[in-house]
Amino acid sequence: MREEGKQATRQRVLAAARDLFEEIGFEDATIRMIAQRAGVSVGSVFTTFTGKSEILSHVMSDRLEGMYAELDRVVPHLRGHTVDRLRSIMAVHYSIEMRRQRLFVAYVSASFSWTADQTVIPLGQNVRFKGVLADALIEGVARGEVREGVNVDVFVEVLLACYIWNYRLISREGAETARLIDLMDRQIGVMFEGVATR
Amino acid sequence: MKHSPIRAVAAAPQPLTRRALAKQLTRARLLEAAREMFADRGYEAATVRDIAAAANLSTGAVFASFADKADLFSEVIVAEYEFMHGAMVAATDETAPARATVLDLLTMAYDSYLTQIRLVQAALGFCWMRDLLSEQRHVQAVELVRGHLASVLQRGVDSGELSPTLDVKLTSEMLWETYLSNYRGVIFEGWGREALRARMTSQLDVLISERKLAA
Repeated sequence: MREEGKQATRQRVLAAARDLFEEIGFEDATIRMIAQRAGVSVGSVFTTFTGKSEILSHVMSDRLEGMYAELDRVVPHLRGHTVDRLRSIMAVHYSIEMRRQRLFVAYVSASFSWTADQTVIPLGQNVRFKGVLADALIEGVARGEVREGVNVDVFVEVLLACYIWNYRLISREGAETARLIDLMDRQIGVMFEGVATR
Repeated sequence: MKHSPIRAVAAAPQPLTRRALAKQLTRARLLEAAREMFADRGYEAATVRDIAAAANLSTGAVFASFADKADLFSEVIVAEYEFMHGAMVAATDETAPARATVLDLLTMAYDSYLTQIRLVQAALGFCWMRDLLSEQRHVQAVELVRGHLASVLQRGVDSGELSPTLDVKLTSEMLWETYLSNYRGVIFEGWGREALRARMTSQLDVLISERKLAA
C-alpha cells in the first residue's frame, strides 16, 4: 500500500514537472512549484528525488516509452530508399521532441553537466535510437544501396551529433519542426553520398 | 593557443581617451579573471564576488562593465571564439591539403581546451539558454571559426583536392557540430587527445568521404 502511494506521488511529480518545465522553463521552475502543481508536499518530493536535475532526467527517461511506441509503429512500414528511411526515422524524433521543445532543450543543456548517473541514459547514447539507425543502414547494405564495409558506428555518431545540435536553431532563429527536418534531410544527403553504392 | 591577458584589448579600432582606455583595461582584466575562475570551478560555483577579487576590483566594477554573471560568462565565451579564430588563422598552412588542415586545426582546438574542460562544459550547457542579444554575439563569434573551416574546405575545392560538388557551408557546419559533440566523450568517457584525433579522423571520412576527394 505504502509502495503504491509512493509510486503515485512519483508519477504525479513527474507529470507536474514535465508540464512546468515546458511552460515556464527548467531554470525558473522550483521544487515548491512542482510540489504545488502535483498536489504533494515539498518534503515528499525530496523523499523521492534528490533535486530538480534528477526529476528532469526521469521525466526524459519516461518519455522514451512513447517514443519507442511511435518508432515501433513507424519503422516496420518504412519503404523506399535507405536514405529516405533514415530521414523518416529522424523526422519522427523531431516531431515528437518538438511537442515539448523547451523541455527537450533544457534536457540537452543540463546534460552537459550531469555526472555519470547509472539510472540515466546519457544524451546520444540511447541504444534503441542508435540501433534503429544502424539497422536501417545495415539493411541498406543487404539491399545493395549502401556499400559494404561502411563504418556504421561513426556514421550514426555523426548523424546524432548533427541531430542534436540542430535544436540550437530554436534559440538561434526560432526554428520550427519543418525547418529542423529539412536541415536534417540535407545533412543525411551529404553523409549518404559517402556510403551509397553507385 | 597560449592565452595572453592582453588579447581582449588587442584590436582597438581608434585612439582612445584615457578614461575609455582605463575602462577597456578593466574589462580585459575582468574577462581574464572570469575565464580562469569559470575554467577552475565551472559556471555555478564561480561567483561575481570571487571574480572581482581575483581581478583586484570591486564587485561594483564588475557590474559597471557587465549586466550580470551570465553576461560576463557570455563575453568570456565570445572572446574565446575570437581568440580561437585568430589562432586557427595563424596556424593554417595555405599550401597544405584542406582535409588534413581541418583535422590539424580541430586537434589544436582540442589541445587547448582539454585542460579547461570545465569551461567547455559550462559553455556547451549554457549556449542553449541565452537571451536574443547575447545569442547574436555568440552566433557571430562561432561563425568566425566555422567560416574559417569553410574557407579551408573551399580552398580544397578550388585546388582540385575536393570535389566541386562538396556543399562547403553545410559540411563545415556538420564538422563543427561533430567537433563539439566529441566533448561529450571527453566529459563522460575521458577521451584524450589521441582518442579525439582518431575519432575526428573517422568522422571526417564520413563527412568528406573519399568520393568527395576529386579523382
